[in-house]
Amino acid sequence: MKFKDINVIGLGNLLYGDEGFGVAALEMFREATHFPSSVHCIDGGTQGIYLLDYIESSDAVIIFDALIPLDYDRRVYVYRNDELPAFIHRKMSSHQMGLSEMLGIAKLHGRMPLEIALIGVPPRELELNVGLSTEISLLLPEAVEQAHALVDGWLSESR
Amino acid sequence: MAKRIVVDPIPRIEGHLRIEAKLNDSNVIEDAYSSGTMWRGIEVILKGRDPRDAWAFTERICGVCTTVHALASVRCVEDALGITIPTNARIIRNLMNATQVTQDHLVHFYHLHALDWVDVVSALKADPKQASAIAQSISPWPKSSVGYFKDLQQRLVGFVESGQLGIFSNGYWGHPAYKLPAEVNLIAVAHYLEALDFQKEIIKIHTIFGGKNPHPNYLVGGMACAIDPNSDTAINIERLMMVKKIIDDTNTFIDQVYIPDLIAIAGYYKGWLYGGGLGNYLSYGDFPETTLADFKTLLWPRGAILNKDLANVIDVDPRDAAQVTEEVSHSWYTYSGGDNKGLHPWKGETTPAYTGPKPPFEHLDTTKKYSWLKTPRWKNHPMEVGPLARVLVAYAKGDPMIKDTVGMVLSKLEVGPEALFSTLGRTAARGIECKQTAGFMNHYYAQLIANIKTGDYRTFNSERWDPASWPEECKGFGYTEAPRGSLGHWIKIKDKKIKEYQIVVPSTWNASPRDANGNSGAYESALKGTPMINPEQPLEILRTVHSFDPCLACASHLFDMNGKEITSVTIV
Repeated sequence: MKFKDINVIGLGNLLYGDEGFGVAALEMFREATHFPSSVHCIDGGTQGIYLLDYIESSDAVIIFDALIPLDYDRRVYVYRNDELPAFIHRKMSSHQMGLSEMLGIAKLHGRMPLEIALIGVPPRELELNVGLSTEISLLLPEAVEQAHALVDGWLSESR
Repeated sequence: MAKRIVVDPIPRIEGHLRIEAKLNDSNVIEDAYSSGTMWRGIEVILKGRDPRDAWAFTERICGVCTTVHALASVRCVEDALGITIPTNARIIRNLMNATQVTQDHLVHFYHLHALDWVDVVSALKADPKQASAIAQSISPWPKSSVGYFKDLQQRLVGFVESGQLGIFSNGYWGHPAYKLPAEVNLIAVAHYLEALDFQKEIIKIHTIFGGKNPHPNYLVGGMACAIDPNSDTAINIERLMMVKKIIDDTNTFIDQVYIPDLIAIAGYYKGWLYGGGLGNYLSYGDFPETTLADFKTLLWPRGAILNKDLANVIDVDPRDAAQVTEEVSHSWYTYSGGDNKGLHPWKGETTPAYTGPKPPFEHLDTTKKYSWLKTPRWKNHPMEVGPLARVLVAYAKGDPMIKDTVGMVLSKLEVGPEALFSTLGRTAARGIECKQTAGFMNHYYAQLIANIKTGDYRTFNSERWDPASWPEECKGFGYTEAPRGSLGHWIKIKDKKIKEYQIVVPSTWNASPRDANGNSGAYESALKGTPMINPEQPLEILRTVHSFDPCLACASHLFDMNGKEITSVTIV
């Protein structure tokens, strides 16, 4: 089987408005029950390097996250594989160990998944606040649909 | 003319920690300012919520130390409501806490801090044979053959040639402040990769006891996990054996990799003893052997040290309104009774009032308010918290295990205890503490097994779960020694809801701005007097700031598609 384990990870902070997009998208994705148990849903919150195992241990990964430095423009972006930046940068604190850093390490470890996709939206409101803005909430179904399509494709390749 | 270096991560977004350093004509740091450039207003979000839910919100504050906020939160609610947790819950919390500390220190040392001392690019020039000989002379760790180092080096070369050392493209490689021979650099890079791999194992203890990770489950009144040696779904023999295996492997890794690396690397830098700073140290203590109120039984002792005076450990009471206070003379908040007057967290206020320049700006006016961090003080003294503070308090109090480990490290480095008052000392203390805490994991595992063997499976005390059993009004204090230092949560409950909630996090102590008396915070003080070789590449500043393991952006995880230059350096 080509894609034995598929990890779907939602990233973001639920206390910071649209920053919580990734986790909200994951929750909506989770509601789709037709996937087999080899598709795992992980609420990654604002964790950085501690999510490395979830990247390295699977054959395909989907990540939902809010994106910068794009400006809010009412659309969902999808980036695949090499379109995602991977690097280990100079940083001030452990908080800057983000996804790109994990991808850099997974590459060095030689354990990149076969497929990786980032599905994201530029945030509209970043304020201390529980819950997404209405505009960003409206983009959730499209983001989740994109993820479903990708997972369906990978699963059918595995059959 | 005096130069001013500004180090500021992620300048385009909200940022988090900004350092401005003033240099004299010989490029020595004359003065420094530390600014938190982002508001962390969790206190406001918690008002009016059910106190039993607070831990789940506080766990989301921070992307690095989730479990410590959950722990301090359930502890403050239990303190307010007068709940005693079952023995198993106390042990499991201690075990999870020790797990968090060891994992966090390993990741910090190898992933954040090592590259301040280790030149990755220099490792490409190392002789694998010599690297293997050095590795075998300092440790019995098995991955030390010539072939192992050769393979790794080839992999690194492959990355550089394919243009992918893009992965490491942003370092100050070749900077003259790097002192390690190429072979030690290669060993360190090998262990950097191994440590990042190994840390994934340690945290599985959180999954076992907390149900999931990240964001393990906590519970006011105990822990949510069930213990039953004969059940398939509860904490059973099989899961306990897994925990034991992880603890053993963790101890081996720390003893055979982390500590030998620390000593090997520090040996080349013991002439660079800058960054001591305040000389005032504070620890609330943690790891209760009975209850939290009985702080004399804490395995990490409680106490304060002033002016590096190890002969005199002063008693600390974080409930005392005269001891722990926060003022806002240099912070972007207002207090109803005046900004210069410190308030104890039970009387704390969180009213933001930004008066700084509109971003982007060149530099802050540090004569006025210049940070989103408040200014915590202990009896009006600025204090350093964290591994060095804990190790010094335990050392000064004569803790036998700490005295042993500190003695071993100092004698191998051939330096005296005064070397501890430095950036390198802070880094060594983190390693010493990591070893100590891995020892705690063994201790608590044995305690847990012994307690389960008595037939006690209880993990939750439900007596005060029902809000009908609560007093109309009450207040509580919860504390823990988080990886980065003393963490306190103070709560007031009224009519079954949170009336006030104040958190004083370790990095607020360490990264605080000046107080009304003009005293610098720990970072600010530690940077003073440090000579810079090349102000355009402020490796020395990063080294000292990193030695505190800063934790400020307790909020954000945006994905930066450009992301190449995350930390900017400007000289104005």
